[in-house]
Amino acid sequence: MRLLIVEDDLEASGAMVTGLTEKGHQCRAAADGEAGLKAARDERFDVMIIDRMMPRMDGVTLVETLRRAGDQTPVLFLSALGEIDDRVAGLNAGGDDYLVKPYALAELLARVEALSRRREMGAVQTVLKVGDLEMDLIARTVRRAGVEIDLQPREFQLLEFLMRHGGQSVTRTMLLEKVWDYHFDPQTNVIDVHISRLRSKIDKGFDKAMLQTVRGAGYRLEA
Amino acid sequence: MRPPRLFRTTPFRLTLLFLALFAAAASLFLAYIYLATAGEVSMRADARIAREMLSLKAVHRAGGMAALNEAVIERSSVDHPMLYLLMKPDGSAISGSIGASPIRDFDGQATWTSFRVTDVGPGGAPVKELARGLEERLADGTRLFVGADLGESAFYVNRILRALWGAGALVVVLGLAGGLLVSRNVNRSIASLTDVIDRARGGDLHARATARGTGDEYDELAAGLNDMLDRLERSVGGLRHAGDAIAHDLRSPLTRLRARLEAGVIEAEAGRTDAKAALHQALEDTDGVLRTFGAVLAIGRMEAAGDAPGQTTFDPGALAASVAELYEPLCEDKGLEFQLRAAEGLRLKANREFVAQALANILDNAVKYTPAGGAIMARVRRRSSGDVEVSVTDTGPGIPAQDRARAVERFVRLENSRNAPGAGLGLSLVAAVARAHRGNLELDEGPGALDGSGPGLRVALVFPSAG
Repeated sequence: MRLLIVEDDLEASGAMVTGLTEKGHQCRAAADGEAGLKAARDERFDVMIIDRMMPRMDGVTLVETLRRAGDQTPVLFLSALGEIDDRVAGLNAGGDDYLVKPYALAELLARVEALSRRREMGAVQTVLKVGDLEMDLIARTVRRAGVEIDLQPREFQLLEFLMRHGGQSVTRTMLLEKVWDYHFDPQTNVIDVHISRLRSKIDKGFDKAMLQTVRGAGYRLEA
Repeated sequence: MRPPRLFRTTPFRLTLLFLALFAAAASLFLAYIYLATAGEVSMRADARIAREMLSLKAVHRAGGMAALNEAVIERSSVDHPMLYLLMKPDGSAISGSIGASPIRDFDGQATWTSFRVTDVGPGGAPVKELARGLEERLADGTRLFVGADLGESAFYVNRILRALWGAGALVVVLGLAGGLLVSRNVNRSIASLTDVIDRARGGDLHARATARGTGDEYDELAAGLNDMLDRLERSVGGLRHAGDAIAHDLRSPLTRLRARLEAGVIEAEAGRTDAKAALHQALEDTDGVLRTFGAVLAIGRMEAAGDAPGQTTFDPGALAASVAELYEPLCEDKGLEFQLRAAEGLRLKANREFVAQALANILDNAVKYTPAGGAIMARVRRRSSGDVEVSVTDTGPGIPAQDRARAVERFVRLENSRNAPGAGLGLSLVAAVARAHRGNLELDEGPGALDGSGPGLRVALVFPSAG
């Protein structure tokens, strides 16, 4: 993937470039909003990672400018501000996701991958398929290798999110935010319990375990 | 030069303003009374004069000059209240009670005039009195003047005037005295409030205003001030305490982290171990520190915000169901019985996210401290007072009554909870959520001790009714 990183903290920016390049992505870094705007106009990127507070042009203005010009590249906001209001302001400006500093590299990576995937799946899908797992979004049924699996509504939503990001790592925070719509940090890892229930339903009795735990990151649904 | 303090107070200024208004109104009133009374007096005199003139003219017509002269002399001689003067056509006096007409340029037309006459007062001293007069020319050219002094009537007018002035002066004096009294009274009430504010400004946040128990607006102001100071004191106290607590709670993991990194560097340099394990451990420690930091920040923000921002109206039962759903599998895994009883159709105006987080923290604690085989019940109901109560009851060891107040303080982890994970911020965050909605956090005993377990804990988050 081609990524644009707009961040005025050069050390943080360098660490991001190192980490993301390591994972096989091509990165271009810009040190302030104006440089970021120029880079975004020069080249096409798959995802842009933009800090909210920067000298010269702040992240929100940058994204608003890009969106007005018709640029629909997915944007991940980075911010030291974690209040709900700040998050909403960022998303209203045209951001697609919001990550509060400090973050783990795995979290950043998972979110960037999730954003790039979102653009690929532009068309509305009614059936999701990952390996021999099949989800019918209209009939609300799930089958693995033709065997119907009975899921609770929340388990269905959880699996839907995992299938939409099949093959990618998703973090616990992402699941809590996107499936449960909570933006706080539960002291205990409640998500793990929900995952293990889902796992017992979709993997039990099959040779291959699809729902895998990714150490230090979260989970991944493998074909 | 600044006027004395009293004259700068609002009540006194208002008193002065009202006095000025009153004085203006009273002056208008006095002027009206004077004009009306004086006008009436001179109108009556004019009527008398006109009648007398007519009667004398009749005498003249009937008896001629001699009869008129006789009549004038007769009327002038007796103690008659009116003035007469009969003159030749050139104005020289023939007879009458005054020596000359007060009208200088008589042109033959009937002429009215106001003038002053000198009379002898009660003590023999001369007094000047106001008078009215009419001069006319009779058919044969003789001129006749008839006048009347207004002395007696004017005396009454003056009495009325004096009485009115006296009353006005009394009102001004009484008004000023009343104004001073009210100002002093108000000043005393305000002074105690100002004193409290001054002390608070000087850093003494324990200062409180005393209500006088009259329930008036000063009491209301005092109550409002006290409430504000309560909040301020709590928030400042919280910050002060948080400073120490953050130092305490972050210092130990940071020290551990530093030591681990240092040891890692030494070990790696000596080639005894690879740096990876030490780095992984350091990362984990960092996450712990960040987690504590995040919780402290969340509480601080909630308290700094005063009333919770972003309040919406929602169904607390549905919210509880959604949070409970998050925790239910955790309960089952730990062998805890879980139950949710939520009244339907309740409405709560609050920050949804804050309430969800508070309930999550309460449930988290309940799951953490309740041993396997126990039970947890979440409940949402409306109290008879109209308040909405969100409560969680567990069958864990509970918190001894004397420790309950302390349990909601920041970073307090009670002795028997040392082994369970957590930064000790759970309940204080819940308390902060309650305060941000002007509600309460109540801690009680649970269902009681049974079979060596319990007595359990009941944590209730109470939100005041919207009314």
